[in-house]
Amino acid sequence: MGNIQVQFILNNEKISVKVSPGLTLLEFLRTEMGLTGAKDSCGGEGECGACTVILNGEAVNSCLVLIGQVDGHSVTTIEGLSVRGELHPVQKAFIEVGAIQCGFCTPGAVLASKALLDHVPDPDDDDIREALSGNMCRCTGYTKMVEAVHIAARELNNGK
Amino acid sequence: MVNNFQTVGKRVIRKDAMDKAIGKALYTADIKLENTLWASVFRSTCHAAEIINLDTSEAEKYPGVVKVVTAKDIPGKKSFGALVSDQPALAEDEVRHYGEPMAMVIARSQTTAEEALRLIKVDYLPLDPIFTPKEALTPDARQIHPGGNLLTKYDVENGNLVEGFSHSEIILEETFSVQRISPGYMEPENSLARWNADDSIMVWVSSQQPFHDQEIIASVLSLPLDRVQIISGVIGGAFGGKEDPSLCILAALASYLVKGTVRICNERKDSFLAHPKRHPAELSLKLGANKDGSIVALDAQVFMDTGAYASYGPAVGGLLTETVGGSYRIPNMRVQTSVVYTNSPLSGAMRGFGAPQSHFAIECMMDILAEKLGMDAIVIRQKNILHPGDQVFTRVVVNETANSLPRILTKFEEVYQRYSALPTKPGRLSGVGFACAAQTMGLGAKVPDSSTHRLTWLPDGTVRLHLGAPELGQGLATIAEQVIAEKLGIPYSLITTAELDTKTTPDGNVTCASRMTYLVGNAVSLAADNLIEQMLDHAIELTGKSRQDLRYESGYIIDNHDQHISAREVIAHLAERDITLQADGTASFPYPPESTPQHLPIGMPHVMFVFGGQIARVEVDPELGTVEVTHLTAIHDVGQVINRTGVEGQIEGGVAMGLGYALLEEMPIKPNGQWVNSFTEYLLPTAKDMPESLDILILEVPEKSGPFGAKGLAEICLVPTGPAIANAVCNATGKRIKHLPIKPEDLL
Repeated sequence: MGNIQVQFILNNEKISVKVSPGLTLLEFLRTEMGLTGAKDSCGGEGECGACTVILNGEAVNSCLVLIGQVDGHSVTTIEGLSVRGELHPVQKAFIEVGAIQCGFCTPGAVLASKALLDHVPDPDDDDIREALSGNMCRCTGYTKMVEAVHIAARELNNGK
Repeated sequence: MVNNFQTVGKRVIRKDAMDKAIGKALYTADIKLENTLWASVFRSTCHAAEIINLDTSEAEKYPGVVKVVTAKDIPGKKSFGALVSDQPALAEDEVRHYGEPMAMVIARSQTTAEEALRLIKVDYLPLDPIFTPKEALTPDARQIHPGGNLLTKYDVENGNLVEGFSHSEIILEETFSVQRISPGYMEPENSLARWNADDSIMVWVSSQQPFHDQEIIASVLSLPLDRVQIISGVIGGAFGGKEDPSLCILAALASYLVKGTVRICNERKDSFLAHPKRHPAELSLKLGANKDGSIVALDAQVFMDTGAYASYGPAVGGLLTETVGGSYRIPNMRVQTSVVYTNSPLSGAMRGFGAPQSHFAIECMMDILAEKLGMDAIVIRQKNILHPGDQVFTRVVVNETANSLPRILTKFEEVYQRYSALPTKPGRLSGVGFACAAQTMGLGAKVPDSSTHRLTWLPDGTVRLHLGAPELGQGLATIAEQVIAEKLGIPYSLITTAELDTKTTPDGNVTCASRMTYLVGNAVSLAADNLIEQMLDHAIELTGKSRQDLRYESGYIIDNHDQHISAREVIAHLAERDITLQADGTASFPYPPESTPQHLPIGMPHVMFVFGGQIARVEVDPELGTVEVTHLTAIHDVGQVINRTGVEGQIEGGVAMGLGYALLEEMPIKPNGQWVNSFTEYLLPTAKDMPESLDILILEVPEKSGPFGAKGLAEICLVPTGPAIANAVCNATGKRIKHLPIKPEDLL
């Protein structure tokens, strides 16, 4: 099977690459682009959310997306979330409240939270738990993540 | 107690959080080296079989394959094991569990390696697999290992059991069983190894004990220890499961054989099949008590399935044995524990280390006893809890830490009232249940556990910590930095922690056993004291004053005329003369001979305890059988809090893990003969499974021998969760479920 040409926006930059069509977005990010913030935990089954990225504004498991499917679309990874070195409010809140322990699930959980706040600016506990329910964490029990998302929501809403 | 701590007890932000939040933290699988080859493992598809022939010739010829490795290629020791060296690095004559590594393909890419795996042919002579301890212990059972199927047997008695039961006014007998679960850390096992031109090897690991990995790799490769350098990547959780080598032996072997750089990563299914789990166990308890509720005697028979290889099975069996009596004073008691080999996936160390199993039994038993006697379940616990000065059945005397137990029970009373008054959703049944917990700290008597860490006061005024035991994600480095900052009286921001590298870091021993705050805290305190002494010695020369006219306080040398010189000035002055202030601190767990009973096997007894308790409210849907934990209050004595945020984080994570144990997680064999081996069928708790209300109450009964009075926490916070939920379910439904997890079909 020959390589395919894929053009898309990755972290606000247009890229054009020739890649094997069998590659998942996760594999592409980690091996071709050196963007290792997205992790593989469940073995590419879409169960754990450690590989979450934002595709056209929606949080998706990048292990379930073939590279050809992002052609013409826009992808944000954890490496592209902070703007000019300024952390996104979700990142700031995760750090400040202690929602990060081993950190392996953190990039995915941060992006899932960010996508939620883009759609639901003032979420309640249930909205947040629902949005994070695809992101497994074995360390934190999720409590401080939920707290962090509330804090980030307040900061984002105050900024408006 | 009023204290004026600057850093200890505060909420501090862990310094690795930033890199983790922006995706820059480098876990071992993220470390990129030039010309890295990939190794994939060929695993057994039999539960038990003799290997008649293993043919790798076709795989070797596959384009892109560099080498196929079998046991024959191992230059040194072919097997390993923390307590018993019974586990082959690669199986040669026999496989003892499904998924056991037999060979390894080293190739230019992962895809090539995986394709070549399919070309390996193996002729098995299948053997009848054995999956339960009872089966394994029948007289005519096939012997899984040459020494037989009984790996370890404990038989510990105190008092007089026969007399105890003859004096008991009520005797209860119940059998409880708990399931196999996975540590479920998010980062699967993986390793990266590089062969150097000077015939040494560097191995990156995700491990709880890099210094032990170093020894094992040296023995497998037949290399001197100083040719093996281990570096810890950022670790994505461990929970006991990374006490066993996490693929570093195979990565090192591959690298050695091809004289190159090789990466090896487990997928989740490999982690499930071939990495240690929490032991499934069956516990039969016979409990004798008086009608006033006081326990007179307890006789327990325990069978634990340790799987195909020993791992930490003997030690887990020991701690399970020690904790069967929970938090209670039981004058006549005997526990017989059999740790048994089977052809199941291996079980080993996991957070709690035997205590989650023992507590499910004893804490359900306490509720059953209360019910039989028509007593309140809190009152019956009040009657039997340990008090300072009481002896547990290993004859260890419990210290003041037991003062936390009455406080926990008082809190139960208050929360019980509150939870019982909450409205129940229509169509649901609600109930409240609770459980106490006792967990030990430390590795147990006669097990070497000294832990060394190094401090260097750098010319820029910062203090560099070489932490000799890995930070697993739980916040160990933060705790150590806080203790150092407090001892030196300088800001927390001035302490940094170096990457763990066996070449530059002293041996801090294994990170485990709820003992790191205690052990590392004490070790770095000693090192900090030493740094201060060194600085004062140098200040004599610098100031012309005598030693008794100088003192150190909060980053300053102060003389008898109240003249101050900052530590930073002293350090800068010394730097000009090429002098660096450096100190190692070593701490060991204390087992004073006068108070440590000596009649028990190695690893017993543990002499220091921590206590906790949890109370849960559940709602059960009687039509669906589903259980929702709506509220939970966790009460834990941690001694002096070091990092408040970290304490809460440990408890919240522990409750989630305990909730998974109670209601969701299990790794059984399926009707098709395959083990559950993915997160599709193995349900890890998600954000939606957590209680809508989770309250944490931290008790601070100081442990005098700990740093600033701190004690351990990591394990106990999941120990009471399972039985508390089971007791709440019984309270809601009237159904006493004696196994975990509690599933909908149990409640229909």
